[in-house]
Order: sequence, then structure tokens, then C-alpha cells
Amino acid sequence: MIEAMDFETNFAPATAGEIAVNNLESARQQSWSRFWEAPLRPGIAECIVEQEQLTAQFLGDVGVLDRLDALANQLARVDPESGRTALINAQVASMAHRFADAKDYLAQAELHGVFPSSDKPLSLSIDQACGTNLESVLQARRRMAAETRRSEDLVPLGALLADLCEFEEADRIYRRALREYPGVSPFAPAWVCFQLGVLWGELVPETQSSRAANWYRKAIEYLPGYVKARVHLAEIYLRCGRAGDAQVLLVPAVSSGDPEVRWRLADAMRATGRPAEAEVLMQAAESGFEVLLGKHLLAFADHGAEFYSGGGNDAERAFELASINLANRPTLRAFEQAYVTAVGAGKSNIASDILSAAGKRWGNTTAFELSPLAPVCHHDSLRAKTHKFGHI
Amino acid sequence: MSDHVDGPRSIGDPAADLSDLFAFTSPENAGRTVLVANVFPSAGASAVFSNAVNHSIVVRRVTVAGMGEIARFKPGDEEYRFSCRFDNLVPGPDGAKPVQHGTCTLPDGQALPFVVNDAKGASTPDGMFRVFAGLRSDPFYLAWLVANLKKFPNLLQHDNVLSIVIEFDTRHVLDPGKGSLFGVIAETSPIPRTGGFIGHDPPRFDWVGRPEQTNMRLNNPALAGTDDLRDLWNQQTPFAIPEEIQPLFRKRLVDSLTNWDMRDGKSDWTPAALAAAANVYLDDFLLFDVSKPMSDTSFLEIEKSTLHGRPYQTGGGRTVNANVIDIMLTWMVNNDREFLQGGATGATQPGGNAFPYLARPNEQLQTVSDTVDVTAPPDQVWALIGSFGGMWHPLIAKIRITGTGIGQLRTIETIDGKQIIERLDGIDNSQRLYRYAMISGIPAADYTGTLDVKPTGPGSSVEWRVQYLADGQPNIIVRTVVTELLKTGLASLRSRFGAPK
Repeated sequence: MIEAMDFETNFAPATAGEIAVNNLESARQQSWSRFWEAPLRPGIAECIVEQEQLTAQFLGDVGVLDRLDALANQLARVDPESGRTALINAQVASMAHRFADAKDYLAQAELHGVFPSSDKPLSLSIDQACGTNLESVLQARRRMAAETRRSEDLVPLGALLADLCEFEEADRIYRRALREYPGVSPFAPAWVCFQLGVLWGELVPETQSSRAANWYRKAIEYLPGYVKARVHLAEIYLRCGRAGDAQVLLVPAVSSGDPEVRWRLADAMRATGRPAEAEVLMQAAESGFEVLLGKHLLAFADHGAEFYSGGGNDAERAFELASINLANRPTLRAFEQAYVTAVGAGKSNIASDILSAAGKRWGNTTAFELSPLAPVCHHDSLRAKTHKFGHI
Repeated sequence: MSDHVDGPRSIGDPAADLSDLFAFTSPENAGRTVLVANVFPSAGASAVFSNAVNHSIVVRRVTVAGMGEIARFKPGDEEYRFSCRFDNLVPGPDGAKPVQHGTCTLPDGQALPFVVNDAKGASTPDGMFRVFAGLRSDPFYLAWLVANLKKFPNLLQHDNVLSIVIEFDTRHVLDPGKGSLFGVIAETSPIPRTGGFIGHDPPRFDWVGRPEQTNMRLNNPALAGTDDLRDLWNQQTPFAIPEEIQPLFRKRLVDSLTNWDMRDGKSDWTPAALAAAANVYLDDFLLFDVSKPMSDTSFLEIEKSTLHGRPYQTGGGRTVNANVIDIMLTWMVNNDREFLQGGATGATQPGGNAFPYLARPNEQLQTVSDTVDVTAPPDQVWALIGSFGGMWHPLIAKIRITGTGIGQLRTIETIDGKQIIERLDGIDNSQRLYRYAMISGIPAADYTGTLDVKPTGPGSSVEWRVQYLADGQPNIIVRTVVTELLKTGLASLRSRFGAPK
């Protein structure tokens, strides 16, 4: 019943995904050309950051962080002392999950008198990604969403609510973002549909694969080149024995360079009786992950840990990467991943320490109550408190 | 929280973003009128139109309903609407790049199909209407840093836009015998669909009448702490801003025009004249009179004359080459006391006299850039490579210098016998940087290079960057040549000075 209601929404018509991607790509190249011509041209670096962000988020282009490093390096060469450079560095560092660097850059930007409101969304995103100050982040997100009603404010609010296990409200917020979207770009509605897929397919305690699959399909309908949506939908197909459909979904996404595509395609190949091809793909995936980890360790540590604790089959490496991710941003999910990989690597003492630390940090939250860590956590006294945000 | 939720800041579709509107008499045929609407500022080389947007240019007959301090231009109810829609991309023949088709619905209801980027455009069988849509060089130029009114090179240099050009027989379509003064706007709006939304679709994404109504007048950056009215403005119905909301916009216009007047520290407008101008701006449509001459300088003449209480002399309008920003700034800042010339006197390419009147798209400058880190300190590295005639590159057999200082030429003979001539365009020894331009020897145009050395830890970072347009050879060949030149040169520095561990 609930699933049927999802699609009673009259979806906003949007520019065809092929056109939108074509236009994003051509505009991105034009922006780079303009940047190299005159790096200090007003607005050009900011424009590139936005376009590269879209390219990474939707098209899975693994070269984005390298290109943004080049942007930051060039600004550091030509305009090292400005608040603008510091702010752009903060954005680039945040995209690479170098959150400590990002905070330092934000502080530098403030010292240079960068207009305070321009870095506020970034501060919120960093706190949200690191699981810190969530009470004030939630208040700010609610206020911004109420003021602007824009997708870029509604979706992060929905994501935060989902992280806090307020699933029904997250669903309402996402669908509001979809319903009230006033624009014509397919990126925003595709993003919302993807988030709804993650919500119902991965975050709720009792996942609803069919419901999630519908949302991922809708995201792909808006944006056929949406790599992450293809990967997540393929995972659902693989779990329900539709390996052929997963292959069809993943093959067009291989060119993105995202190693996760090769990993899931290897799973699909194996499931359809093509082990040799699966092995080649798995090696390519591993090599792809290691290249990315070598260049942008923090950005890909959690994805790498997931790979090595799954098809990558290297429990030690998985634990190493999960630990790095946990140190970088001690979210509940990072604790969960670190715990699971520690157990997988046979490090029961360390796993116990992680569990204890998770209990101390998250034990009195609703999210922890619903976490897989809760049943194994021995810190009953901590869990007894159910105030949502105490001691976060 | 495993996914970073910092979503896209700019989620709007630039293909729905109107940048400019033009109205002028065809340079090819004085009996025809041309209307142009541009979308997608800074469009890339392969940009195409959105298939979810209705692009309309709408004309209404206008009468002068008041002059002097009660100046007013009153639009009639009848409208001439040209609406263009575009399809999704279809594969080009034999693997060529994708093609987009479109259709323009004309005021008489005819549907005129066309192919995007076909410079010939499409005509109705009787030749009454002609339509072009596609990528063109942006004819608009803005050569000021507007915040502090400082001259600057054209901020839109080398930019392209997506243009819709509509040309028609003036007498048959507009029937100027009933009145020859018209107002025109362009708007982008959702394509109507069946079935209801909760709430309603936005009436339009964007609309434009006179240039810079939104970004300079309604959202004057100098008016600190004021609300941004642009979204609200864009939701209004052109030719029919509701009475109840007009005071909000009128006040903003008066405040903004007052601020513009004082940008040079002098007051050139009386309060009454400013209020009258604000009223005229509030009726935001581009005025043109098809019975009078339209030229590159006639932009705003209809408004100005009417506000001065005298009959207008020109057809107003806006030609492709009109210097609209400087004309407008001069009027707003000093009431035409002294012409304010910005830092450029024209767009990247001037418009032409033949259909579709906007110049071909600018080619995208190609960039090849490479960097090497070495252990030697910057001064030591610069001592070797900072001389324009320095012999350090392994592919160079000989260099001859002609002249001195900026403008000096170096004639390079490569080890395989080729000759390249380059000119020094700038050097800054304190920053350890020089810029040069290639005169001949590489099949490229607009070829410029920059070489600089920056400190990195105890050592140096050397960056060499070249921009060019391939000329006479495919880009891939030129890129290969330039890439090899840079890589070999920088690799030799690493060998010579050592690479950091």
C-alpha cells in the first residue's frame, strides 16, 4: 500500500537526462577553459566547484577530486592569501572528506572576512558528515528548509532525519522536495529519488527492496547516467537473483571509472556463470580502489572498507580503512562499519573497544537503539537513556 | 552519514536561464523585423536546448500613455507569440554527434520545424517567417566590475549562448498601420502537461524585457540588507504585473536608481525624474518602433525622450552590437551627462549583417598544463629557465633572440629541424613568471604560454601552461605536440634539479 502511494506523486517534468548531462559536461569544460585563461575571473572557480560536484555526485567521475586539487593548487599559486581561495579550498577539502582541513580553511576564510553566510551551509555539511553538533545542525537545517523550501536545503534535512532514524519524517521531507521542486533540471529530482531509494532500501530497520528499487529506477529515469543509482539498483537485483538485469544496468556505467561498478559487475558475472570475466573485473575493481585510496584516502576509506569486507576479501585491509574512516568522522555508521570489520579481521578486543566507544558517543540516541550495535552493546546504562542528542 | 549530503548548490537548469533579448530591423531587409532570445549563459561547445522548456518571445502593441513625469507605456491585450520547443537528442548519422530538432509555433498557429545549429535556419513556405536556433557567440559584453564601477575587460569574452532568432515580415505580421510601437519580452516556462500537481507548476522559469532589470536594478548589490526580489519578479506575468504588488517593485526600483545616481558621488536626477523612470522600468518590456530607424545607439531612446516630454525619434529596440551596458549605466549614473565607457568596446565577435546575425560560436580554448616539483630552491630554478632566450629544453637545438624587453622574439630551432617563433608578452622576476605568445611554427591560433616557479617546501614547483586553438591540424595532433613539449621540458628539470622524495 505504501509503495503504491509513492508513485501517486505527479513527477515534475524535467529536461531529459541525456541533455542535462551533455550540457553539464560542455559547461564544465567551458568553465575550465575560462579558468585557465583567467583564474581570478569573478565566480569562475566557484562555478567549477559546483559543476565538478555535480559530475562526481551523479556521473561517478573519479577524476573530479584530482581536477579540484588542480583548481585549489592554481588558486594557491595566483591568489594564496585571499578568503575566497580559503573558502574554495574548504569546499574541495570537504568533498575529499578532509574535514579537519576543511574546518581550518573555513577559519582562514573567516579571518579574511569572507561573508559569514556563504560558508554556513558548508559548516553544516561538515558537522553532519562528521556526526558532530547534530542538534544544532538539525535546528539549522529545519530553519533553512522552512525559509527556502529548496531541494538543496530539504534533501540534507531529509538525510539528517534518516541518519537520526526519523524515517517517516525523512520520507515526508524528501517527497516534499520532489513535489515542490520548481525547476526543470533533472539533477535535483534524481537526487531526491536516489535518497528515497537509500532510505527504504538501506536505512530503515526492515528494508523494502521493491520500494527502494522503484525509487532508484525513477532516479535513473530522470538521469540515465546516474552511476550510484545504477549500482544500488544492481545490488538489489543481485540480491533477488536478477544478475542479468544487474549486468544490463552496470555495463553502461563502467566508463565512469568508479571501481564499485566493476565490483558489482563482477558479482553479476559470477552469478551468471562467467567466473573468468568476474575475476578480471574484480582485479580491476581492486586496482581502481587502491589508486583512489592512494590519492584520496579519506574520501574513499569507507567505500574501500566495504569493498574489502565484501568481494575484495581482505579483512585486514577492510579493518584498516574502516578505522581510518572512523577516526576521520566518528558517525554511528562509521562505528558500525569499524566494528564489523574488526570482528571480520578477528580482532575481538578491538571490536569490543569500538563497541564501547560507540556506546559512549551514541548510546543515548534513538539511532543507536535501532543500530545493529545495540543488541551486542554491554553498556546498558548508557542505552537506558533515550534522549536523542545527549552528549553528541 | 556515509554519503556526503552537501548537495548541488546550483540545481537550476542553465538552459532555462534567459540571458538577453534583442529586437531590431533586419540588416538584410528593412521590411523585416528580427527578435532574438538567448539562453544558457556561458554555454559549452556542445550545449543544446532543454526539451522540458517552452521558449517564447511575445510582442504586444504599445501606446504612449503619458509623457514627462507621468511617462507610461501601455501594452495592448493582443499578443504575437512565438513559442519554440525542442526534442531530446537523436544520434547523428554515422556516429556523428547527436542532433536536436525543434519546432516554432508562430503567431498564426503554423508550426515551423527546424534543426538546431543549422545556420540557414528554416522558413515557412511563403517566406514570411524564418527561424534559427543554436549556439552562437554571446553578443553581450559587460566590461565593468559593477560593485565598484571599475572598468574591467569583457567578463563574457569568448562566451557562447544558445540563441533563438526569429525573423518575419513586419507589415504582414505586426500590421503596423494599427500602431507601430511594440513591447517585447521573452520567457521560459514549463511545458503544460495533463494531470495535476499538488499546488501548481511554476508559471515560468525566467523572463526578460530590458537588460539588467533583475541583476542591476531589482537586486542592486549596493543596497545591503534588502531582500532578493528576483525570484518573485520572475514569477510575475509580463505585461501584467498585478497592481497590488507593483508598490514593492516600484520602491525597490526607486531605491536602486537613487543608489545608481550617486555611484559617482553626484546627484544628476531629481526625485521626480527618478520616480518617473522607475515607473517606466516597472513596465518591463523592450520597446521598439518598426516605423523608425533602429541602430546600435537607439537603445532606450524611446524611454528617454518620452520621460523628457518629447516625441521619440528612433525605433529604440536593441541591436546585436548595441553597447547596452554603457548606455544604461551612463543614463542611470549621470543622466547622460558624460558617457561611461567600460573596459571593452565590443563583444568577442561583432554581430553580422546576414541571418542569423549573431556570430558563429567561439571555439573553446584548449589547455595543456603540466607541473613538476624539484628539490632546488625557486631562485636557482628561475636562474635557469627565467631567461626568455635560455637554452635548457632538451628538444631545442638553438635559440635566437631579436629585440629586448617585452615584445622581444625568440626564434627556436628544434632538434628535428622545425622553427618556432614566440613573443615575450610579460615577465615578473619577483614572481618568477613569464608569459609569451606563439607567432608561428605550431598549427594553432591564440597560442599563449605561461611558465612560473613557486616555492614548495624547501624546493620548487614549476608550472607550464599553454592555451591555444588548433588551426590547420586536428586538435589531437596539436595537443600531442604541446603535451610532448611540456612534458619533456619539465622532465629535464626534474633530472637536473632532482625530484623530492
